[in-house]
Amino acid sequence: MSQKTIFSERRPEVPTAGNRFAKSVKKDLAGWGFIGPFMLIYLVFLVWPILQAIGLGFFKIDLLVITDRTFIGLQNYFRMFWGENMEWTLGNMWEWRIAGLLLLIPVFRGWRSKTLSTLESVVYSVSLVVIFAGVMGLAPGEGGRWNDSLFWLSFGNTVLFVLLSTPVIVGMGLLLAMALNRPGRWTGVLRTVFFAPYVLSVSVLTLIWAFLLNPQLGLIGTFLEFIGLEPISFLTSPTLAMPAIVIATLWWTVGFNVVLYLAGLQDIDKSLYEAAEIDGASFWQRFRDVTWPGLRRTTLLVMVLQIIASFQIFGQVFIMTRGGPNGATRVSIQHIYESAFRDFNLGYASAMSVFLFLVMIVFSVLQFRFSRDET
Amino acid sequence: MSQTAVNPTPRLLKPKVKQTLFLSLLSVFAAIWILPLIWMFSLAFSSNEALQVSTNSLTPVDPTAENLIAVIQGGLTPRWMLNSVIVTGFTTLFTLILSAMAGYAFARIPFRGKKIVYPLVLAGLMVPREAMFIPLFLMFAEADYHNTYEALMLPRIAAPLGVFIMTQFMAAIPMEIEEASRVDGASRWRTFWSVMMPMSVPAMTALGIFTYILTWNDFLWPLVSATQREMFTITTGLASLQGNFAQATELGSLMARGVVASLPLLILFFIFQKQLVRGISIGSGGK
Repeated sequence: MSQKTIFSERRPEVPTAGNRFAKSVKKDLAGWGFIGPFMLIYLVFLVWPILQAIGLGFFKIDLLVITDRTFIGLQNYFRMFWGENMEWTLGNMWEWRIAGLLLLIPVFRGWRSKTLSTLESVVYSVSLVVIFAGVMGLAPGEGGRWNDSLFWLSFGNTVLFVLLSTPVIVGMGLLLAMALNRPGRWTGVLRTVFFAPYVLSVSVLTLIWAFLLNPQLGLIGTFLEFIGLEPISFLTSPTLAMPAIVIATLWWTVGFNVVLYLAGLQDIDKSLYEAAEIDGASFWQRFRDVTWPGLRRTTLLVMVLQIIASFQIFGQVFIMTRGGPNGATRVSIQHIYESAFRDFNLGYASAMSVFLFLVMIVFSVLQFRFSRDET
Repeated sequence: MSQTAVNPTPRLLKPKVKQTLFLSLLSVFAAIWILPLIWMFSLAFSSNEALQVSTNSLTPVDPTAENLIAVIQGGLTPRWMLNSVIVTGFTTLFTLILSAMAGYAFARIPFRGKKIVYPLVLAGLMVPREAMFIPLFLMFAEADYHNTYEALMLPRIAAPLGVFIMTQFMAAIPMEIEEASRVDGASRWRTFWSVMMPMSVPAMTALGIFTYILTWNDFLWPLVSATQREMFTITTGLASLQGNFAQATELGSLMARGVVASLPLLILFFIFQKQLVRGISIGSGGK
């Protein structure tokens, strides 16, 4: 619909063949002239790097002599994905694999309700089966090891962060938006309060939170002592470091989701609430039958945006924990960064970028669909 | 609006009490939410000696502005601020102009090739930037262009979000307004510059403030590209000072740097909050 209005031709001209040709050339020149400056920068600094990343993954490139490139074929990928004494077993990571295969249910439902085309559902189903039933059965057997176990550790931590942060930050965004969705000056002030941390930079966030979480100096430790508990050293605890980073990220970015949810709540037809009120519906019933279905599209969008953002986590852990303690918070981007700039291996870092890119593009495509679907 | 407020019957008064109670609870929660920020400000205005004793006060202990003054007068922080202002300012300016130009062409000029180029630009919205910094790094390294302002700016200007926003907005401006100007004999450029641009101010403010905040807060790319201390932005510079929290003798001045780094954004945010909110909801495709 919007495509059509954007591209519609207007003003039919008085026709002579030559005139018309001159006109259209003029329009071509004007059009390309206007988009030219942007397109140049776009092609050089966005499109070209993507194409390059794919190529660079097949080379060995040393950071110190970047022009010296050796073609090594698939070795970088071999190092990432393979190890010694690899074995396929049915039982490897079986909980995760079953969980992954359960995603076939929404795909099937999407196909039945025609929100997915048959081709899409087939592609999704096949990839889910291949990844979760097949590929994830591979692991080093007895006495074996991964070529780069840090790669898998970082990727696992990244996925863990995505799984922890997405429900927390999206859910909190929804709750706050529902609480703040009422007129009045005071609610305006409260919205500002919850949104303000979003404009801080990551290094200000870490400055504040590393101290807050510090057991001796921070407010949280003091508070725990006040209510009679031992202060906890969150950031040096292997189990609590990641949740602490999730909480800091929640404080930092929940405002973004609140904004999107508030916009979604505005779009819900007010008469539905009035009707529910007349029927004497309880708060829970109104939420279940009016709010939640009305926010379906917003929720999908917010979830996908959150997943994409969470996959790119870097600054918080890089500054606060450096990936520690003992690799418990090491994430993918940090591994890429350190492979390139500490181990000087740019080709390998490029190959890992491509992998992360492919994982994220799945969610980006979903976002693209949700945000452009008019219904 | 709120009939409950006007209606004096006691049965309807109850929701009002509930409402007040709810808002008070929410306010308490909001107060807790803002505590970390207040704490940073309070530490920044406390003397370093007082902070050796206790760091738990929410009001400045032994209030002093010496930390702030020291930060502004000495060290690299002013330089980092300047870098950030230059990089962010020009990035925002160029993003606005280039996006408006491209948006105008995509929305209004029927030229050949548009149906191929526009989808190509939209596809760029799907690219996760943080995953692509290695090839970008190599590109600038080959051209020997790291540690320059251009290197910090260009990749951010290449982001297609602005073009998408401006195309959407300009396509919605009534055709008649532009035609009136064209009939008067104005050139395309004049029409764009003196008719379409002024009409697009709401979208451009939203895009501008959004771009400003994102650019100011960029972390990974400046960390990779600007490796000389003088070329750090305030975001990477502040990060470089953290890490050895254990010996926090300079806590007050560290927090003062945090205040300096966030004040420009907080001020902008309080002025342009509405536009930023709009920018977020248009930019994410939420409408």
